[in-house]
Amino acid sequence: MRFTETMSGTWQRSGSEEMLPMTFTVRVETSGRMRAFGTVAGKLDGTISVEGLASDAVAKGSIEMSPIEHRRIRYLLDFDGHDGRAYHFDGWKSIDWLHARKSWTTLPGTITDASGDVVGVATLYFAVGDLPKFLTSMRPAQRRVSRGSELERRRWHGEPGRLEVWYQTFNDPSTGAGFWLHHEVVSPTSGEPAEGRGWVAVFPAVGAPVWERFGPDPVSPGEYFGAGDVAVDPGRLVGKASDISWDLAIENRAAPIYTFSRLAWKREVLPAAQIVSAPAARFSGRVATPEVTYELSGAPGACARIYGHGNAERWAWLHADLGDGDVLEIVAAVGRRRGLKSLRPLPLVQLRLAGRDWPRTPLVAASKFRADIALPEWKVKGSFGDRRIEVTVRLPEDRCVTIPYSDPDGSTATCVNSERADAVVETWRRQDKAWVAERRWELAGTAHAEVGSRP
Amino acid sequence: MGAGGNGPRRGGLEALSVAIATRTLNGMGLPRPHMLTHSALAGLCSAVLDLDSERAGAVVEDLSDFMRFVPTAARNGLAAGAVGIDVVSVLTTGRRLHRLRPEQRQLVLDRLARRSATADLVEALKIPLVAAYGAGRHGVAQLAHPQHPPARPDAPLNVVNSADFRSRAVVDAVVIGSGAGGAIAARALAEAGVSVVVLEEGRRHLVEEFRSQPALERFGALYRDGATTVALGSPPILLPLGRAVGGTTVVNSGTCYRTPERVLARWRERHGLEMADSLRFGALLDEIEQTLAVAPVRDEVMGNNGRIALRGAERLGWSAHPIRRNAPGCHGCCQCAVGCPENAKFGVHLSVLPAACAAGAVIVSEARVERILSGGGRASGVRARRPDGSELEILADLVFVAAGAIETPPLLRRSALGDHPQLGHNLAIHPAVSIGGWFSEPVCATEGVLQSAGVDEFHDSDGILIEATSAPAGLGSIVLPGTGRSLADQLARIDHLATIGAMVADAPSGWVHGWGGRPVIRYTLARRDATRLLKAIGVMGRILFAAGAEDVVTGIRGHERVRNEEDLEAALRAAKVEQLHLAAFHPTGTARMGREPETHPVDPNGRLRGVEGVYVVDASILPTCPEVNPQLTIMALVKGVTEEALAGSSG
Repeated sequence: MRFTETMSGTWQRSGSEEMLPMTFTVRVETSGRMRAFGTVAGKLDGTISVEGLASDAVAKGSIEMSPIEHRRIRYLLDFDGHDGRAYHFDGWKSIDWLHARKSWTTLPGTITDASGDVVGVATLYFAVGDLPKFLTSMRPAQRRVSRGSELERRRWHGEPGRLEVWYQTFNDPSTGAGFWLHHEVVSPTSGEPAEGRGWVAVFPAVGAPVWERFGPDPVSPGEYFGAGDVAVDPGRLVGKASDISWDLAIENRAAPIYTFSRLAWKREVLPAAQIVSAPAARFSGRVATPEVTYELSGAPGACARIYGHGNAERWAWLHADLGDGDVLEIVAAVGRRRGLKSLRPLPLVQLRLAGRDWPRTPLVAASKFRADIALPEWKVKGSFGDRRIEVTVRLPEDRCVTIPYSDPDGSTATCVNSERADAVVETWRRQDKAWVAERRWELAGTAHAEVGSRP
Repeated sequence: MGAGGNGPRRGGLEALSVAIATRTLNGMGLPRPHMLTHSALAGLCSAVLDLDSERAGAVVEDLSDFMRFVPTAARNGLAAGAVGIDVVSVLTTGRRLHRLRPEQRQLVLDRLARRSATADLVEALKIPLVAAYGAGRHGVAQLAHPQHPPARPDAPLNVVNSADFRSRAVVDAVVIGSGAGGAIAARALAEAGVSVVVLEEGRRHLVEEFRSQPALERFGALYRDGATTVALGSPPILLPLGRAVGGTTVVNSGTCYRTPERVLARWRERHGLEMADSLRFGALLDEIEQTLAVAPVRDEVMGNNGRIALRGAERLGWSAHPIRRNAPGCHGCCQCAVGCPENAKFGVHLSVLPAACAAGAVIVSEARVERILSGGGRASGVRARRPDGSELEILADLVFVAAGAIETPPLLRRSALGDHPQLGHNLAIHPAVSIGGWFSEPVCATEGVLQSAGVDEFHDSDGILIEATSAPAGLGSIVLPGTGRSLADQLARIDHLATIGAMVADAPSGWVHGWGGRPVIRYTLARRDATRLLKAIGVMGRILFAAGAEDVVTGIRGHERVRNEEDLEAALRAAKVEQLHLAAFHPTGTARMGREPETHPVDPNGRLRGVEGVYVVDASILPTCPEVNPQLTIMALVKGVTEEALAGSSG
């Protein structure tokens, strides 16, 4: 659903008595159908005027519509002030069905600055006179190939010393083959121009895996990834590396998994962060190697993203599609910064079962998990809250590729990767002080995993 | 009848107008009573306290001032009672009470005292009149201006009045209530780096207010509904609840008993509370004791009231001790119950909340939480109301409910989180009874610590904990018998009265009903507890006689004053528990925590069952009566719960 909404009222700077005018007009675009009983998220795009702070500034943000489940319609907007500083508006209509008109049209909110300090408070109203305009602005949502397209948008905007990755891993159920596409923008710390590059790896059911590099090429302008013949666009992957080529459409219906927490991804509070932008993606199209051409139709896999200052000192990664939309994502890493190298790997675990992600606070929970990284087998285990998990991942040598990585600062690492890895995942729930077995999955040749290390 | 001249006719007219007034009591709901009510109250006041009309008028004025704190129903009840007695006066004498001579007024009251129901009415009306007479703005027992400067300045607290707090805020955790439980939760959360807002229905009170305001005024401001909360039952039990930044710790006596081992064992074994492990809970109690600077009452501030209890117990060979309190620097001004005028009592507003605020917590005062917001089985925040009726909402994934054992169940119910069949049940209140002893030498019970000495001889065996407890000057801790001249004589000699109270560890015998507005509290005194209360009166009487009391005020109808132990025994044999004046100060257990999901609304880690992200952190989680003043127990338990929540908060 798409519509345009104008909210006007007043705001009051902290410590001041004066009421100043404030207004914003935003185009609201929600993904998918409107669900009256559930919660619908959408994005906001428009302009905002806050007297004394910003006038007709570009405002972007998100909306959360939950008139019944949470009885709340929440608006989050980011905008820049006259003073060049970033500001944030967070407010919500609190839906009270006994006072429907008032509650649907009144939006109290708070304006904060980048550090989270309160700048002022606002109360905005929807003018009932605007209702015809509002209603006529309503349109069905544009059909979107991928819900994660917002997350596929390039984060890097020219900063030196950054690494940004788009990678996709998937399996062809008909042949048993596994695939890995890795696209990265490396912006050297030295300030030299950034490069777009990557590789493709194919893991056939029988025989040794093959892989080829593409690039480095200059980074194409555009909102996503592009370098040379290779491009990542929302819902589409096209490219060629030596004699392997691909042309794939991606469909995804699942919400992203913020492996390192949402905050870590959005605010870059860590040296690097990973997310699974499309955890239950379906890949259709063609991957051609000199020997075989794979025609894929709804091949299960995932799209993921990394953004940060570079690769870890040592890491292990697992993506396990557990079926029925259930997914396990693990990144266990040791940071490269001074003082971090000697620490144990920090396992970030996100298990999605029946649409609910556990643990809710992966960074907090990490301290409760333990990872033993080795080859060909590595393990993660631990408990958080009322659930315990044990994961064993096996990367048989004959199903792996070994690829040298390079970081923005020029250092290198070695990565052993397989999209035909084996994994055993077991969970328990706590009941009356005892752990009771909950679920067990065995993935034979369909787990996606890697182990990275430095000499 | 004794009414002269045209008395009867005029009386008839007056009777009619009084009758009309009783039928249309809408005038009584006003802060200033209706003319008729005023004169009825003044008449009653003159009669009960044997005062001339001018003094009685002043007392009624003070009482009306105080009445603005109490609910309309109680105001109307007082007015209706006064008018009712006035009607009786007109019907029996032909004149209204305030127009009668003192001896005629006494006759009316004596007539009323002969019937049980009307005697109860007079007794009930006497309590506010005596309080206003003693502790009002014009009261006889004006508190001397504190002799000592404050032991410490008011603590630096980050308190924002709800009027100045934004209508929309997003934080990590909201704590509802700033009392013993809420403060500890807020401190632990804030110190763990979690952003916390504490919502408090009451307001902040500064020491200057406690140094300048009369006791009655402070009493009204610091307690919910002017301390008129009553647990309905037979007898009805007064259950005063503190309401302020700092909660009941601002008005409690500062008594700090550690949770008895037998209580912890019961919680462990019968309720599956692993936290009640002796070692672990002992360490939690140690920490809380350190935070609150708990120490025994020093002899120089003990006061005669406490010394008498200790002396009586010693002569009987019973175990007794100075009470341990959280009041470093206390000079014993005996005003704990209306806010410490020296900031000596280390309530959480001075001891715990400052640390919470230093770690980033914000306290929003005068914000009554309407409901906990939730959706999809998870808490998402709270909605609160400001005094002007406007709303504010705070989103948070974690909600810690510390509204107290009486307010927590209705809050959960109106948040649609109160489905558990046991929520609001199992209310234990630790019922208390007080008696007094007249001594030939001056006692001056208001010079010394309010609650000073404990006698625990019958604590292990009968759950009876005796504490020498006085009250701020003018606010008697017992109801003196009689009316008119006799009451006035006693009040004139009040310096010779020592008072002592006993609390009985009770079975969970009460319920908290309701979801919005005022909760209805129902309490059926268990037979065992009734017996124990009577035993407590006997035991306390023996202590007072052993200490040299000339006679003892028992509170037992028909045997109000006894001169020796034999008379006391006889009085106890005749006593009816339903006629005692009982009070209770420690409501617990309405959302008890424990292992069994069917019987315990809260799990052993403090989580409210049936929803994620809601923790209960107040006296309601205590599985049973703690058998001692519960401050330390609540704080230690909440500390344990909050630590668990921080260590294991999962989805």
